[in-house]
Amino acid sequence: MKNLATLIILFFSISIVSAQETTVKEGHYNTSKFRQLKQGLPTPNKQHTASGAPGSGYTQQQVDYVMDITLDDKNQQLHGFEKITYHNNSNDPLTYLWVQLDQNIRESHTKNDDISTRRTRALYSPKQFSDKFLDKGFDGGFKLQEVKDSHGNDLSYKINWTMMRIDLKEAIAPGATFEFSIKWWYNINNYFIDGGRSGYELFKNDGNKLYIIAQFFPRLAVYNNVDGWQNAQFWGTGEFALEFGDYTVNITTPSDHILNGTGLITNLNKLITKKQYNRFLKAQETFDKPVVIVTQEEAALASKDFSSKTKTWTLEAKNVRDFAFSSSRKFIWDGMAVQLDSKKVMAYSLYPEEGNPLWEKYSTNVVANTLKEYSKFTFDYPYPKAISVNADRQGMEYPMICWNYGRPKNKERLSDREKKGMIGVVTHEVGHNFFPMIVNSDERKWSWMDEGINTFVQIYAQGKFDPQLFPTSKYPKNIIGYMAGNQDNLTPIMTNSEDVKQFGSNAYHKPAAGLFILRETIMGHELFDYAFKTYANRWKFKHPTPADFFRTMEDASAMDLDWFWRGWFYTTRNNDIGIKDVTTYRVTDKKTKRATDLLKKYGQDINKIPASLYLISDKSDDYSDIATDKKPQDLKILKEYLEEKQLHINDSDVPNYFYEIVFEKPGGLIMPIIAEYKFEDGTTERLQYPAQIWRKNDKEVTKVFTSSKKVISIVIDPDKQTADVNEANNSWPKQQENKFESFKKSTIKG
Amino acid sequence: MGRHRLKLLIIVAILPLLAFSVHKYYISLTQVEYVKEKESLQIISRYFIDDLEFVLEKKYSKTKFQLNTDFEIDSVDNYFKKYLTKNLLFTVNNTPYPFNYIGKEYEDDIVYFYLEISSLDSIASLEIKNTALFKYFPDQQNIIKTKIQNKHTSFYLNKQKDKGLLKF
Repeated sequence: MKNLATLIILFFSISIVSAQETTVKEGHYNTSKFRQLKQGLPTPNKQHTASGAPGSGYTQQQVDYVMDITLDDKNQQLHGFEKITYHNNSNDPLTYLWVQLDQNIRESHTKNDDISTRRTRALYSPKQFSDKFLDKGFDGGFKLQEVKDSHGNDLSYKINWTMMRIDLKEAIAPGATFEFSIKWWYNINNYFIDGGRSGYELFKNDGNKLYIIAQFFPRLAVYNNVDGWQNAQFWGTGEFALEFGDYTVNITTPSDHILNGTGLITNLNKLITKKQYNRFLKAQETFDKPVVIVTQEEAALASKDFSSKTKTWTLEAKNVRDFAFSSSRKFIWDGMAVQLDSKKVMAYSLYPEEGNPLWEKYSTNVVANTLKEYSKFTFDYPYPKAISVNADRQGMEYPMICWNYGRPKNKERLSDREKKGMIGVVTHEVGHNFFPMIVNSDERKWSWMDEGINTFVQIYAQGKFDPQLFPTSKYPKNIIGYMAGNQDNLTPIMTNSEDVKQFGSNAYHKPAAGLFILRETIMGHELFDYAFKTYANRWKFKHPTPADFFRTMEDASAMDLDWFWRGWFYTTRNNDIGIKDVTTYRVTDKKTKRATDLLKKYGQDINKIPASLYLISDKSDDYSDIATDKKPQDLKILKEYLEEKQLHINDSDVPNYFYEIVFEKPGGLIMPIIAEYKFEDGTTERLQYPAQIWRKNDKEVTKVFTSSKKVISIVIDPDKQTADVNEANNSWPKQQENKFESFKKSTIKG
Repeated sequence: MGRHRLKLLIIVAILPLLAFSVHKYYISLTQVEYVKEKESLQIISRYFIDDLEFVLEKKYSKTKFQLNTDFEIDSVDNYFKKYLTKNLLFTVNNTPYPFNYIGKEYEDDIVYFYLEISSLDSIASLEIKNTALFKYFPDQQNIIKTKIQNKHTSFYLNKQKDKGLLKF
């Protein structure tokens, strides 16, 4: 013991001496990648608590709408009148209200053009030239006809592009309500020409139109506990921030249209034929396959005459954050009931014949699957229905209704890719009902909170629907190309929606891949799922922020994930872990040079210490002289010791081979190390060293691996679970044959 | 999405940009490695299948390729070879070299092409030009990564700058 103590003292004094000899560096702040995010997150308070839950002081406004809408098919216009009831549930008196005028992004001269930095083009069509240089383009902005209080008096307002401030004579007191009304109209855009998340498609063969109508009414902006008024302008990429409320909407369409939208149609039996209504009732009780409510023949017939008569659909929706609808003569309508744990809901699809046979076969089934699978990850779908509308070139979500692309090129031969695209988009857009329609994050600020989280659940939901088409083994390696890309073209996930570069990868696939890694590799299913479900349930019908998500995931799992959020969400770093060096040691009872030298250094003589076991490295000069094939348990001194102590050890429990592996980390991200050791008998052992292994050295760590069998190779992350961007350093011994040569060999063989 | 900006994209790039919730990126990656012992310049060039199919169908009009499906046309490799030969050009030591088309493989949404220039005993300079997909996708970036004589380089090609020269 005394000798050991001396050794320790000597060792420490030596390290102090050597430290004094190095150049003195200036001090620094804590730069550890494991330091807590605290300073980077908003200070917790009674509204958004430190645990990530809404607190006792959390408030949220409610806005109810009663609307009368007319869809003018002849002129492609929408005319509307809305009565808005604003419930001020905050503790603040409000002297003005902000109302969103999203359609103003389509004014004939819009600010969006002013920030466009595209270069001139070689040629323009007359329409393009006129739109671009003559400013005589399509005018799709809102035309406000009146803004009045409940007594019919004009309200004073100021429009700032896509936002309108309504100035109130008297502040709305906390807890009070304010009623007012707006009358407006606008030209509906042909979205094939003028773009947009809504508008109409023109079928040139017969002049029919398919309307997908959204952002069609002046909508209240959010007033919340973190931003006050969220009145950031609508520039086009950052989607929407909206309050929950109840809607009653009367929509007048040509009498030959089929319409559906957010909420339940309360007068449906008066709007469709008795036959159709009976089919509708049958669908409510049919769980195994969709029931066609409006048939292809009926839709074809309805498409022939353009009726000048109208009818009015009444829809009612409770506790939704928005309202959208779709209407056309061309619609086929089918639906089926879906059984969730605690309730039954309806899955519907609306599609023109151009969507068939893809649509009749898959759409409603995919809606049903999506509702089931997302409910498992979160909560039972709280709304009564979800509709998938076939709208060419679209993928866009609203409460209970969404637009999805998918028109087969060849009706006789559906390709797998058409099927895959369509099933993927339907799953994604229906999935948006959960994020952000119900778990209502602010899309205008953080696209990843709805797109990324939704894409993550989509991976599992579509994989459940068709595991061959959607193998989950694709993740997270799908993100490697993006993360390995030019840093100039990358932005951290935690970047405002409008400033994000490479939107699809940044807002969708990278956050999804990150959550996939958390669930599959870092947290495991049980811990992840409980925490994720906690987040969803805490924030359903509320407005969560990124901090609420980060905090809840940790609070409900006892896992410190700050290093993960910091790296994956706040930086553009990538993961590259490799094997730098491997040294093999064997056990011997012969004195090694290493041990001799070590003892000499401290003034000890190796011949005077008791008999010991020595580890000899295959890299040392005396290896061939000293190394033995004897197993440690056959070495005399160990054998005697074990016998004396009467310890019976299985051969396979005695380590015969000792490996010192130096793992390097050229990549900036922190990740666990997954190492697979392959033995000479062909068996393997896989170990996962937690990410915390990098706490004190961010570049390089050494691990000792012991085994009774000889290791012939080591591979890092063999299943590609950690988005490692560089595989060249993942194997020991280094892989000699590159990807190119393996492929070439396979073609020659084949 | 701005009105004019979107319109431009629709006309130039048609389909893939329109689905708002399935945005994607326009990137290809070409890895070039020189293996001196084999006197071989080994090229792996990868593209998104849907983008490539779109461009091929535009270029070789009326042909429906149905890439990576049960209905893929038999002569597809000829088209690939033709398209790549026209768009991916290698000039070694100031002399243009054609490549051998070894083959392709599909993985998920991506197609990998394996191309080789053989009998190269030394490389003093290498110019790589890749104009694939530029014509129809204005945002397309073709990334080149090279490993030659243990030197790693990477650069980006786009419509404005479609080739890069390396000297050793």
